[in-house]
Amino acid sequence: MKRKISFTLNGSEISIETDPARRAVDVLRQDLQLTGTKEGCGEGECGACSILVDETVKLSCLMTAAQLEGKKIVTIEGIARGQGLHPIQQSFIEYGAVQCGFCTPGMVIAAVAFLAANPAPTREEIRDAISGNTCRCTGYQKIVDAVEDAAEKMRGGNSDG
Amino acid sequence: MGRVYLPATLEAVFEILSREPSARLFAGGTDLLVRSSAVRSDEGPLVCLERVEGLSGVSESDGAVRIGASTTHGALMASGFIKERFPLLREAVRHIGAPAVRNMGTIGGNICTASPAGDSLPPLYILDAEVELRSAKEERRMPLSGFISGPGVTALEPGEVLTAVWIDKDHGFNFHHFEKVGQRKAMAISVASMAFAARLDGDGVVIKARSALGSVAPTVFTSQALDAFFAGKPLNEETLGKAAALVREGVSPISDVRASQEYRRTVAGNLLMRLEGARSVGR
Amino acid sequence: MKKETVLDGPRLDAFSKVTGSERYSVDYYPENFLWAGAKRAMVPHARLLALHTEAAGALPGVFRVLTFRDVAGSNRLGIVRNHQPVLVDEVVRYAGDPVALVLAESKEILAAALDLITVDQELLPCIFDAEEALKDGAPKVHEDNDEGNLLRTVSVCKGDPDTAFGACDAVAGGVFETSRQEHAYLETEAGWAHVDDRGVLTIVASTQHPYRDRREITGALGISLEKLRVIAPYLGGAFGGKDGITVQCLLGLAALCSGGRPVKMWWDRRESFLAGVKRLPARMYYRLGAKGDGTFHALSCRLYFDAGAYAGLAGEVMAMAAEHAGSAYRIPNVNIEGYCVYTNNPVGGPFRGFGVPQVTAGMEQIVDMVAEKLSMDPLELRRVNALRQGDRNCLDVELTHSTGVVECIGKLMEHPLWKDRQAWKTSAPKWKKRGCGIGCMGHAIGYPALVPDEANARLELKKDGTFRLYSGVSDMGQGNASTYVRIAAAILDQDAAAIELLQPDTDHDLPSGSSSASRTTYTFGNAVIEAAGALKETILRCAARSSGLEDIDAVELLPGRVRFKESGRSIPLSDIAGLIDNDDRSQKGYFRAPHDQSTLAIMYLGAHVLFSYGAHLARIEVDILTGKIDVVDYVAVTDAGKVLNRCVYDQQVQGSIAQGIGYALMEDYLVSEGRQETGDLATYIVPTSVDLPDMVSIAVEPEEKTGPFGMKGLGEVVISGCLPAISNAFHDACGVRITRSPLTQERVLSALAGRGEGR
Repeated sequence: MKRKISFTLNGSEISIETDPARRAVDVLRQDLQLTGTKEGCGEGECGACSILVDETVKLSCLMTAAQLEGKKIVTIEGIARGQGLHPIQQSFIEYGAVQCGFCTPGMVIAAVAFLAANPAPTREEIRDAISGNTCRCTGYQKIVDAVEDAAEKMRGGNSDG
Repeated sequence: MGRVYLPATLEAVFEILSREPSARLFAGGTDLLVRSSAVRSDEGPLVCLERVEGLSGVSESDGAVRIGASTTHGALMASGFIKERFPLLREAVRHIGAPAVRNMGTIGGNICTASPAGDSLPPLYILDAEVELRSAKEERRMPLSGFISGPGVTALEPGEVLTAVWIDKDHGFNFHHFEKVGQRKAMAISVASMAFAARLDGDGVVIKARSALGSVAPTVFTSQALDAFFAGKPLNEETLGKAAALVREGVSPISDVRASQEYRRTVAGNLLMRLEGARSVGR
Repeated sequence: MKKETVLDGPRLDAFSKVTGSERYSVDYYPENFLWAGAKRAMVPHARLLALHTEAAGALPGVFRVLTFRDVAGSNRLGIVRNHQPVLVDEVVRYAGDPVALVLAESKEILAAALDLITVDQELLPCIFDAEEALKDGAPKVHEDNDEGNLLRTVSVCKGDPDTAFGACDAVAGGVFETSRQEHAYLETEAGWAHVDDRGVLTIVASTQHPYRDRREITGALGISLEKLRVIAPYLGGAFGGKDGITVQCLLGLAALCSGGRPVKMWWDRRESFLAGVKRLPARMYYRLGAKGDGTFHALSCRLYFDAGAYAGLAGEVMAMAAEHAGSAYRIPNVNIEGYCVYTNNPVGGPFRGFGVPQVTAGMEQIVDMVAEKLSMDPLELRRVNALRQGDRNCLDVELTHSTGVVECIGKLMEHPLWKDRQAWKTSAPKWKKRGCGIGCMGHAIGYPALVPDEANARLELKKDGTFRLYSGVSDMGQGNASTYVRIAAAILDQDAAAIELLQPDTDHDLPSGSSSASRTTYTFGNAVIEAAGALKETILRCAARSSGLEDIDAVELLPGRVRFKESGRSIPLSDIAGLIDNDDRSQKGYFRAPHDQSTLAIMYLGAHVLFSYGAHLARIEVDILTGKIDVVDYVAVTDAGKVLNRCVYDQQVQGSIAQGIGYALMEDYLVSEGRQETGDLATYIVPTSVDLPDMVSIAVEPEEKTGPFGMKGLGEVVISGCLPAISNAFHDACGVRITRSPLTQERVLSALAGRGEGR
């Protein structure tokens, strides 16, 4: 039984018709062709499916489509600012935080939400913020470097302190 | 295919439950939606509690604190009130999962899942938390310790919803400690955990103490004998060594893929040793 | 050549990945596609009697259910032993063996259909231990294997080890066991396929070797090579787990039977655990003898590797292990026996390190035990015995290439974390013990002598004056694609942005071997250098001739143009492109890695001649109440020749250490009676960001003259240092040795209590 579900997606109002029990991650990837949000485990363990729901990081593999109703959803495709990149994305590139890249969208989403609430974090706090995002390639260090750099730039600091 | 209800009021929830006896309730989905990997039409519909009015939030009345059942672990951590009043609870919740999991999982879910490894539970036992249960017909309260009777087994009746957790404001503790042992430092199910709260005098001698251990018994392990043993003693190696022996005798852990019974029993006692030299630090 | 600036710079694939726009194999949802999924046996050993697929086939939304009867070809996969069924026809040999293939309209219907398939089978006796499997009377995994359950054995003998032990002043021995490790890449096995109206089957898959896949699939499915095309987009991680057939053949079969509709397969995490290959667990018996001055004199070891149900590349893993059993040392008397054995366990396969992490863990702990017997500093003992260029290694191969292990050890010796370790140890807080441990390693680059280690590159000047580079080697996240572009850019003096790279596609006909074996930059990079050099000369010659000049030194390549040195005039590359014959606008490059065919006499496949090396230091804290080990500091000193791009270099070092620490402390794929117990990421524990320290990476850079810009492979050498360094650190901290990994909290507490190994 399909249901009409309306929500804001990356800044635009949309409505879809779908089985409300489908997972949000499948709706995003398959129905809306937003394949930037990944799936790594389907059980909330790896964070690859992370999206922003009303500015809060949530796991779209553990959300039903029904729960999208009326929410402000932001996926990785909505993180870049107009033509340019979000400072976090820019720092990820510069600091080598991207290897295979499959965990990267989830990491960026986690970092965006984290820095919004914690603009001047310690490295330990950054590690904590991404502790729900599994990366198998990097060992996390360059991701922490990148978030640290982005935090400084977003505070208005100069690069490479 | 599957059906999902997103009710806005408790009345709507009761109405659904009366029509759909096989309905499955969830708030954050970090337990149910993991177990139910493919929602199929032969299973009962899902009822999501995340938008039900009045079911989340922290409020005070008459010397007691009411935590709405749909309050997420993340919201609990962000609450300055909880941080000030119940730092032990906050410390335990901090060890649950990771940020996104805490943004979704709720205190009500942690209670109703009733896993022996539920990290919010040991502090709630120490705080003598009560659960508020409502159905279309009535509202009742009972101690959390009586609500959970085994792994995954609660006293929730058909048609009932866990709506809140009640905790008395004042417990008189001036020391608390929490430790979780997991196979890694985040996103880990507890293999053994210990929550401890006490009122200590100026010399560090215990006036009263409450302890609760997770993952070492079918439900949270508490022992009046253990708590009584602490009274009047300092938390030194001798006291703690004896307490550790009491713990090892009292717990009834199982072996599973995460840890053996022997390891759980050994560590449960060992965790007591971490309390050595405790001094009052506020609450 | 402006190498320093042009090979540096951020990864060129980072932009598309950080914006979520890069499309992996999982990201294709073709129009009108069908989901394809396999029914797995779920029992470790059984004779198939009947398959009941009618109920599944009748389910609305199920397009078809396929069994072995629908496979037109040999129904067999495997390049060493061609004996692994596409769909089981006779015998199930491990729980992940596929018995049926369903095509359905949705994931939900697919799951429901798979549940409806039942199997009549006769359960057969099982064997789960490699050593036990070699004994008389053990159940046979492959009835037609003349050697019982033995898949492969290698034996290396140098000097006279039996006598030599008698002449040693210190002898240490031990048995070491390592675990089954799961790759746990974030992108599980996936792809899609379709047959077009010319009858060509195209498979897009997350694979490390599209060319070899194609060769395997033709026989298995009974289709000709010309009708088969395999494409490899960027992989979301692989580490060896996608170096072979995973989804590709099942996708091909599905596409041949889908009535022209595209098919998609995506293993969920549970299936990835169940059916994907694992690092082979090993049991290793070691004995090392040394003279009083520390000189190693005799090594004897017996290695048992558990291949699981099928050969795959398991025998080759064991052979590689045997080759590295003596780590990075000079030992005159050596006896190495290796056995790779079939069991009804999950299939063992390639995983970063390919057998070397296992033996390095054994050897490096034995080295520490010898150091203890001689009361020698463990670093000094290693330095005394470390291989130098010109030495002969344990297989008696002369090391004519760069050999920097002594320099690596030297860096550790002067490192403050080593020098101040005593003070650090004695200031351990209550309930913690601190230890500092060393691990040294070598790792061979590329394929062994018997297997041609070749690469074919193609570089094209497009008509618009920009370039196109055709890669033959998959990029599984290590950044080789980016490095290929930067190499081409360096030689052609172009901006990297002017060079487009196409990922491997068998239609390009550039067979270049696998994305594995630490070879991807070394081998293909050299091919790119040749192709770029040839294209550069073509362009310059054309430009020179266009002005009536013969001497190409009269012109130079600059970004977007060719400039005449004397007059200063420039011609845009788009104009030059118009002057060159179409055939000449595209130049190929070929490279075959150095090899020594005489080493075929030493052992199966022959030996390697080129190695990278490392020396690691781990400082750990052990919590004696819980058994938890924290890696507080980690230093990796690496010899991989010259550093081309420091960022990419450290990416490999850090990522390897992370997997190595996981392997050392928490990763154990548990199987009980052939059934998986840790089949998801909640029970198979990989390190999170809060489980790892900041890591120090130091590069020693001897020039490897045969490598692009002086480099050697780096992908695997680092991972082997972690388990030994941490094991040795544990002994340093607690005075007791744990010889079975991972060093879980439970094993630690058992060891501290003197109870032996525990779980």
